[in-house]
Amino acid sequence: MTQRTNNQERIQRFVCPGCSLYCDDNQIVFSKNNEILDTYGLCLKGYKKINEINSKNRIKNPLIRKNGVLKEVSLDEALNKVKELINSSQKPLLYGFINTTCEAQINGIHLAKKINGFIESNASICHGQTYLNVIESGFNSTTLNECINKADVFIFWGSNAEESHPKFLTKTIFSRGKFRITGREIKTLILVDPRKTATYGVAGVRDLYIPLKPGKDLELIQFLKDMILKEKSEVPADGFVGVDKQDLNRFILNLKGSENGVILFGQGVINSNPNENVIKALIELVDLINETSKRSRFSIIPMTGHNMNGFIQVSLSLLGKMGQIEFSDNQLIESNKDLISKIKDDEFDMSIIVASDPISNLPITLSSKLTRKPIIAIDCFITPTTKLADVILPVAITGIETDGLVYRMDNIPMNLQKIIDPPANLPSDEQILLKIIQKMEE
Amino acid sequence: MERMSQLNFMDIYKLLPKTNCKECDLPTCMAFALALVKGEKQPKDCPPLLKPKYKQSLDKLNELFEGVGVGGKDLHIDIDTEKCDGCGVCVIICPVNARYCPNSLSGKLPDFPPNEYQLFQIKNGKSELLNLEYCRRLEAEGRERECRVCEVYCPRDAIEIKYYTAK
Repeated sequence: MTQRTNNQERIQRFVCPGCSLYCDDNQIVFSKNNEILDTYGLCLKGYKKINEINSKNRIKNPLIRKNGVLKEVSLDEALNKVKELINSSQKPLLYGFINTTCEAQINGIHLAKKINGFIESNASICHGQTYLNVIESGFNSTTLNECINKADVFIFWGSNAEESHPKFLTKTIFSRGKFRITGREIKTLILVDPRKTATYGVAGVRDLYIPLKPGKDLELIQFLKDMILKEKSEVPADGFVGVDKQDLNRFILNLKGSENGVILFGQGVINSNPNENVIKALIELVDLINETSKRSRFSIIPMTGHNMNGFIQVSLSLLGKMGQIEFSDNQLIESNKDLISKIKDDEFDMSIIVASDPISNLPITLSSKLTRKPIIAIDCFITPTTKLADVILPVAITGIETDGLVYRMDNIPMNLQKIIDPPANLPSDEQILLKIIQKMEE
Repeated sequence: MERMSQLNFMDIYKLLPKTNCKECDLPTCMAFALALVKGEKQPKDCPPLLKPKYKQSLDKLNELFEGVGVGGKDLHIDIDTEKCDGCGVCVIICPVNARYCPNSLSGKLPDFPPNEYQLFQIKNGKSELLNLEYCRRLEAEGRERECRVCEVYCPRDAIEIKYYTAK
């Protein structure tokens, strides 16, 4: 039953840049005039991303603030103003880089080296802590295809996958992989979360919900580690940290007796226990299960956002360092301050924000310090950051109007494609950062 | 049998003629009431009920048994587009899609243009029902006919299986 209309010209496969899953099972139908008619396979998050090409908040020309008001100028004049601002500063700060391609991230690092700046990605307020722990001790990770074909226990610790990555559960739990051909009935879902989120709507009678109290993650993990080493269960009769005895027994049974399990963790673990290292405890729990259990094998995957893994791969391979990257005399130096301390102690005198909106995301005590110094914003849309910037350089949307390389949440590289031309011949992030580097060399 | 808790069995028996005339091929009116609840008989299978003096009872019985799946009503699968978020669980879990679109076994959504047997597809961020011709509730035998996986596994409870005559 085909749905051909007279206006339909071609069907193209599309890798969606909506979240860090980068699904490639979507198709777009174009009309004869190369306009997008319909999309097939995209979830609502991806569909809204494609609709950004019709957004009313699109910036089409470079802007400079003159006498307090933003005025449209030519690209040359804007680049000259950028050069003037950089030349009059000694400690520039570069931030963002998550929602761009790896090529743009490489150019960002080259620019930071050229202007002796401090560069950090959004990972510093997100999963950067995860990778600091991974660099110290390593972790047992796995790919999504392994989850589809082999995993039978999924533990979501502080993560609401149904809303952050809508097709994640569809691909892993509801599918019928090669060694899990029965599908949903033999997979177990364990949710560890203080509240019943949308992911709880997926859980059925065979699944488990652990209502963990906030701040008690480390205690529960230590308790599980103790119980795994014992032969017989010694769970106290009235439970532990507010969880019943029966739920804890089932949890321990799933950890010891399943064939292949995955632990997925998100913001609930990172931002709710500031003084304790819960991520390290989770990695140690996985290592303990793999060493002591005869039949089960566990892995751990952080639920990252957009191209965060790309920045970590790029910076590790270029410089051997993934955060707190600081240059002086065009050389990499040791830096013992992270982004938040730099902003709090006013140790910068201008900032270049690429594909990010820190005025909205950071608390007001920090974002007000950013606004007191000059801001250069590289973005596609009007945001609170661009409204307070001094120079705005508009760019094309990544994944739709420009192509490049990105890394998925399980560290698999994917190629994004260009399906439509950008308006007013806007450059990509990669090209505009290269133009700034070339301007500084003049 | 799931409707037993909602329908009071004695209330149904009280609406019948209670003559035990056996014109419905069952020994007593009590047996006919049980067959009604199980879905084996319809209200119009009782000839005395069709007489004018039992019109009120017949109307009430037709109303009570409207959604049970017998009586010539059509199968509809309604998707609430405000709740749907395009996650694609209905496409992957449907046994007909799994049999005829091999991609969906590994969690990938099927290609466009759709296979002639495909029931669900995701268009513009929302799920859409293409045709009901090959649905298990219409085509299969025995227990497979009770298939309700799209309704049970939708994470947002956006799918409803209903029987009614569309106007």
